[in-house]
Amino acid sequence: MTIHAPEQLIEELKKLVDEGKVRTDADSLANFGKDWTKIYEPKPLAIVFPKTTEQVQAIVAFANEHKLGLVPSGGRTGLSAGAVASQGEIVVSFDYMNQILDFNAADRTVRCQAGVVTQQLQDFAEENGLYYPVDFASAGSSQLGGNLSTNAGGIKVIKYGMSRDWVAGLTVVTGKGDVLELNKDLEKNNTGYDLRHLFIGAEGTLGFITEATMKLTRKPDNLTVLVLGLNDITNTMDVLRTFQQSMDLTAYEFFSHQAMQHVIAHGGTSAPFDADAPYYALLEFEATSEQKMDQALELFEKCVEEGWVVDGVVSQSETQLNSLWRLREGISESIAPHTPYKNDISVVVSKVPAFLTEIDAVVREHYPDFEIIWFGHIGDGNLHLNILKPAALAKEDFFKQCEKVNKWVFEIVERHRGSISAEHGVGLVKKDYLEYTRSPVEVAYLKGIKQVFDPNNVMNPGKIFDL
Amino acid sequence: MKVLVAVKRVIDYNVKVRVKADNTGVDLTNVKMAMNPFCEIAVEEAVRLKEKGVATEIVVVSIGPKTSQEQIRTALALGADRGIQIETDEEVQSLDAAKLLKAVVDKEQPQLVILGKQSIDSDNNQTGQMLAALAGMGQGTFASEVVVDGDKVNVTREVDGGLVTVGLKLPAVVTTDLRLNEPRYASLPNIMKAKKKPLESVSPADLGVTLSPRLTTLKVEEPPKRAGGIKVGSVSELVEKLKNEAKVI
Repeated sequence: MTIHAPEQLIEELKKLVDEGKVRTDADSLANFGKDWTKIYEPKPLAIVFPKTTEQVQAIVAFANEHKLGLVPSGGRTGLSAGAVASQGEIVVSFDYMNQILDFNAADRTVRCQAGVVTQQLQDFAEENGLYYPVDFASAGSSQLGGNLSTNAGGIKVIKYGMSRDWVAGLTVVTGKGDVLELNKDLEKNNTGYDLRHLFIGAEGTLGFITEATMKLTRKPDNLTVLVLGLNDITNTMDVLRTFQQSMDLTAYEFFSHQAMQHVIAHGGTSAPFDADAPYYALLEFEATSEQKMDQALELFEKCVEEGWVVDGVVSQSETQLNSLWRLREGISESIAPHTPYKNDISVVVSKVPAFLTEIDAVVREHYPDFEIIWFGHIGDGNLHLNILKPAALAKEDFFKQCEKVNKWVFEIVERHRGSISAEHGVGLVKKDYLEYTRSPVEVAYLKGIKQVFDPNNVMNPGKIFDL
Repeated sequence: MKVLVAVKRVIDYNVKVRVKADNTGVDLTNVKMAMNPFCEIAVEEAVRLKEKGVATEIVVVSIGPKTSQEQIRTALALGADRGIQIETDEEVQSLDAAKLLKAVVDKEQPQLVILGKQSIDSDNNQTGQMLAALAGMGQGTFASEVVVDGDKVNVTREVDGGLVTVGLKLPAVVTTDLRLNEPRYASLPNIMKAKKKPLESVSPADLGVTLSPRLTTLKVEEPPKRAGGIKVGSVSELVEKLKNEAKVI
């Protein structure tokens, strides 16, 4: 191995991609070196923009030769610092691998480069009379490669599952520099280990996904949203059970009154009804007929009679559907100015109320002046715990105190056999806590797998775990 | 005081409109329909007048196919008291709509008629004005504020360069603009109650009106696609293009 000066390395790197596709200006380094987490100082060596799988392969070979770390970069909307480059790594941005390559109407699949933006895929599906159901607040900027590397979930998981469930095939460049075509887009392919699923959720630590064949499905029919005011957090589960017994929901979300107040203060939407409730549930279903709607009304009536629900509204148009969704989807944006400490945790659905009550009590006891904002995809057991920084407290002090909160929260997670990261991944933010969810023996196996695909530890080094 | 509100069933504001392949109109098959947004504002204003104790009864009327009962039910859930559906599958142009509404006005004798200023499908902005003329009532169009004061209504109108307030003797016709109010959501308990509210269905013939469209649609087509932008290499090239191609400086 020859040690080169950084300038020399950058010159070498430039030869691997199209002209002008390596950037080292301060703005680019600061921008492409980070994601939505604001904790780590970005410090990449350079940003490289490949256009093809072959160019990615050349970059990986180059990284192995010079023992350089590579950090994959998509829409950089991650919340676990999985795409942060703070150790002089080379950032591999997929911004120029944003082509939809092929569409197969009979298979209902679409072949995409990794840099295709989620919304671009959703729009493409819609133009072709189909539907890509994975959806979340950052769909307008997040990229498919990042979605798959973090196995993104979002707001439709209760009906459609996670990103993983929509992958028919993958092209990856492994850490050793091999190109693998995984699963060949087959529906049925029982030929041993399905490596596709190792790369999904691996946060780029085994290799980089460069192309993916995604499955599409039929468009939902007349989606309709109910927003219900609940008397108590445990009622979220009563309402969910009542509705699920007789109808399929496409989404089931919850948020606290405080969360909604922040969205309303942020502007662009208003409270659904006058009655105040401590928690709200948002249900979405396909109102395919008048009978279906009547059924929903009957279920609502039952929930009111049981004393679980105080009031509720229903969307009467797409505009109202979007405004009601905004109450839930606008939360992250509206609390961002308060530098929130965020946790994305999950347990099995039946344990949600006990779990939430326990964490709420612990945080309130130790930090009575912290404002706690709860929301999440409660229909699949996923809660987003947000604690807002009191204005008077310095950022460093706040995050230091939050580390203590982490420990308490994760101990409760462990006791309930939950996950310390339901859908945000591990990245840098959660790696110290991995063993609250994964046993030491299991983590040793994970490291063994990493060794097989990326022996020189060049692929997103230091993410998920340290070797 | 009795208030009459007219509502129209139109393509949902958020739906991407597609033109039929033969250019005869807009494709409505399996397209989400909803209440015209300006009509939602009209209903909301009537409900607020009732909540203030100014209005005593709100009658909502819609002209269209049987399915337009859905929009009447929505208005009933929002707070209207009873509905009248003028059922027809024929095309209804502004003047015919105004004549049908005039017949309802004659029968119901409302003190105030509130309509949206226009529907987002045909965009004509005519029905309210024509109705006022046919019924011999004063009109306050493009309302951003409506204040009933005894036997008068003061309507603040949004006009170029500012606001104009007109005082109208009741009965009068008011058409709503966007900033008049922010419509509420239909609550589930009210949707259930709305199912029991009276909804009467009549035909144009029952009202003594024969539909007579005066306009023929020749062709419907999408607006031309916008050409993509270009990248310029230098400031001088930009200035040159702004001067000679765009001709804006």
